[in-house]
Amino acid sequence: MSESNDDQVTEKILNVAKKNPKGISDKDIAAAIPGLSSAELVTAINKLLQQGLFDIYNQGGSLIYRLKSQASKQAVKGADNEEKVVYNLIEEAGNKGIWIRDIRIRSNLANTQLTKVLKSLESKKVIKAVKCVNASKKKVYMLYNLEPDRSISGGAWYQDQDFESEFVEILNRQCLRFLQQRADKIKNNPRGPIVGRTQSYATAAEVQKYITDLGISKVKLEVEDVITILNTLVYDGKAESSVYPDGSKVYRSIESLITPPGLVQVPCGVCPLIHKCCSTGLITPQECKYMSEWLEQ
Amino acid sequence: MSHQLGRIVSQILHRYFGEIVQNVGYDLFIYGSKSINMIVKTTGLPRTRIVDSLRTLLKFDLATFESTDVFVNYKLLPENILLLIRYPRYLLQMKSKYGSEAEMLVEELLQQASCSATVLIVTVMNKYKDDKEKNINMINLKDTFISLVTAGYIQQAPVAELNEGSEAPILVPVETKVPELDLRDLMQAMANNLADVKDNTYWKVNYDRFHLDFRDDLMIKAITRRIDENAGELMRLLLEQMYLTMAPWAAESCPVPAVELRESARRLADRPLLQQHVDQYLRVIEESGGEFVRRCGDAGGGQYAVCARRAAERLLEALLDHCVTERLGSKAHRIFRLIRSKKYIEEEDIQKNAMLPNKECKELTYKLLEEHFISVQPMRKAASAGGTAKAIYLYHVKIHEVAHTVREMCYRALHNVISVGAHMRQSHARLLDKQRRVRSIVHGMRVRGEPQDNIDDVLETLTPPELAAVSAAEAKLRTLAAAEIELDRALFILTCYFAYPR
Ligand code: SF4
Repeated sequence: MSESNDDQVTEKILNVAKKNPKGISDKDIAAAIPGLSSAELVTAINKLLQQGLFDIYNQGGSLIYRLKSQASKQAVKGADNEEKVVYNLIEEAGNKGIWIRDIRIRSNLANTQLTKVLKSLESKKVIKAVKCVNASKKKVYMLYNLEPDRSISGGAWYQDQDFESEFVEILNRQCLRFLQQRADKIKNNPRGPIVGRTQSYATAAEVQKYITDLGISKVKLEVEDVITILNTLVYDGKAESSVYPDGSKVYRSIESLITPPGLVQVPCGVCPLIHKCCSTGLITPQECKYMSEWLEQ
Repeated sequence: MSHQLGRIVSQILHRYFGEIVQNVGYDLFIYGSKSINMIVKTTGLPRTRIVDSLRTLLKFDLATFESTDVFVNYKLLPENILLLIRYPRYLLQMKSKYGSEAEMLVEELLQQASCSATVLIVTVMNKYKDDKEKNINMINLKDTFISLVTAGYIQQAPVAELNEGSEAPILVPVETKVPELDLRDLMQAMANNLADVKDNTYWKVNYDRFHLDFRDDLMIKAITRRIDENAGELMRLLLEQMYLTMAPWAAESCPVPAVELRESARRLADRPLLQQHVDQYLRVIEESGGEFVRRCGDAGGGQYAVCARRAAERLLEALLDHCVTERLGSKAHRIFRLIRSKKYIEEEDIQKNAMLPNKECKELTYKLLEEHFISVQPMRKAASAGGTAKAIYLYHVKIHEVAHTVREMCYRALHNVISVGAHMRQSHARLLDKQRRVRSIVHGMRVRGEPQDNIDDVLETLTPPELAAVSAAEAKLRTLAAAEIELDRALFILTCYFAYPR
């Protein structure tokens, strides 16, 4: 059997495969290239597999060959077997990513080798490592061009896996402003306090619309996201939440039950040294700067 | 009994009664209960002075005694000593509720600790009879006295009874009866010597009655802040109804039927909205009123109970919230409230819910921990395979403990404020004294109608820099006094909370 004959066969198989992007079986090949011996077929297929042009699947008992997409073929060009295995695992995981431990278990590669493979793939910009937001140490790998899933990236609150606290802060304030605008409706409402309270409530959807209209957010905020923010207001003690009969959550801005108490009006109440301040010694009320500054006002 | 309490108590005693009483009081505070001989030993003061001090303390209800077979042991009442700084508030309350006659009466009674009605009224009368502005008369004073007794602000003092075979008397509380005061007797007493008056019923101020007023005020204000004035008014009505049936400090009142509330709301002519919507207001208070009120039945158009204990808790929480915010910032406050609302929570969940960056959140959590606002409860998982069981740390808020922490802080702050005040008074003593003297001289000259030139001469003995220094010091002292009262208000919220047993 000559080299050229071999090449012809592979060429033909490739052509068939190109026409059938869903994959081809042994039978399809046999039908397309009549007179091909099974031995020849096996060598050709093996060769193609070796070159990494084909993926091989098991479908209903028979083997299916499928041509790899151009990009991925390119990506692993010149890669060795280990890289391919790892690559495939990572590709499979999609935009959820895959944890290094899982790769190791499933690929059966030794730790050091695996790290090397991952490094090389990373340097080729084929894959990337993404930090999980809910487990800071955990890194997952995914294909370079993929957008990480919400559960990994943390959604709207994260930029490059960093928590955007300022953004949250601004939203928090804006939400509060919105709620405060209608908070007074409950006071002396001529139609009674229940109507008044209803008027002072805002549903999460309303708040979401307000925030979207403000245009302060580049990313699209879902109602869920806004609820998270509104909940921080509840924890801040600046709003209370309730549930409408139809199950939607509503929020109302409230004030603290008491005015700032005396303790926080005197410097000692906020003084970091209060537990070290004694009648004698270095820190005494008579010598205290905070006190004298406060009294100077 | 904490060290801080001891500091503040001894300082207050010093301010009002001087050094010896302070020493005796502090000695009692430290040892709990003690006999005179023991006090002599530890303080090294002459016995007569100690007896005098004890007499003062007993007179103002700042200490008690109990007799064993051999000794009489004395015991300090620190809570009552703290009340001394609340006096201005009592007076203010009287003035705004019953007018200045009541204020004068209560002021005099507080100073005397206890005295008979005749003596009280006559003394007040004598004191102010030359004061044209006040323009008081006997009839008014007498009526005010009677209405104060009726309202419970003044009560009969306990009488001392001697048991047989024992030398120490015991104080027996007596039920207060509204007295009949005869105007003619009063007039006569005024004309004659007070010492001859035969009036053996003694009276004293009932602090608790004032405290109820303060508590109600807090609750009404809170509801007003949450909802509106009408709701606050309704809260007042609810509390009024509560007093009719229950012990005032009960944790929860008897159910009050809505019908009665509607009835009493009808009498409030200036609140048309409330009259119209009593039921709605009740519902809103119940649902959005910080759990002050609970609906507990449907009979008679709904029945509502006032949960005074829960209210005290809510108010305390509001106080703690303010403290945390001011001390550690609003983000720490968010974490604090988050932990409180979730009861027990893991560190990771705190971050997720509070929407704070990892690092900052941790830092604040540990700060809260350090200042004893939250506590942590490690939980070992049942030893899992490999013995690598990691403990989970659950954060939570022990309200009672935090309240203690904050109370200590209040004591400290109060102590500091008072001592700064004392220090300032001392260092400006000469100037303040001089100013006082100049004032009294000028007053005397004005009364005698001396020429303005002479008055100016006297006034000029205070040089401008001196004047400036004095007025600056006075302004500072005023700030400090105001701070004292405010701190006492904070303490009051804390005491309210501790008044209900857990
Ligand atoms: S006196 Fe000064 S140092 Fe002492 S607790 Fe107060 S503010 Fe702090």
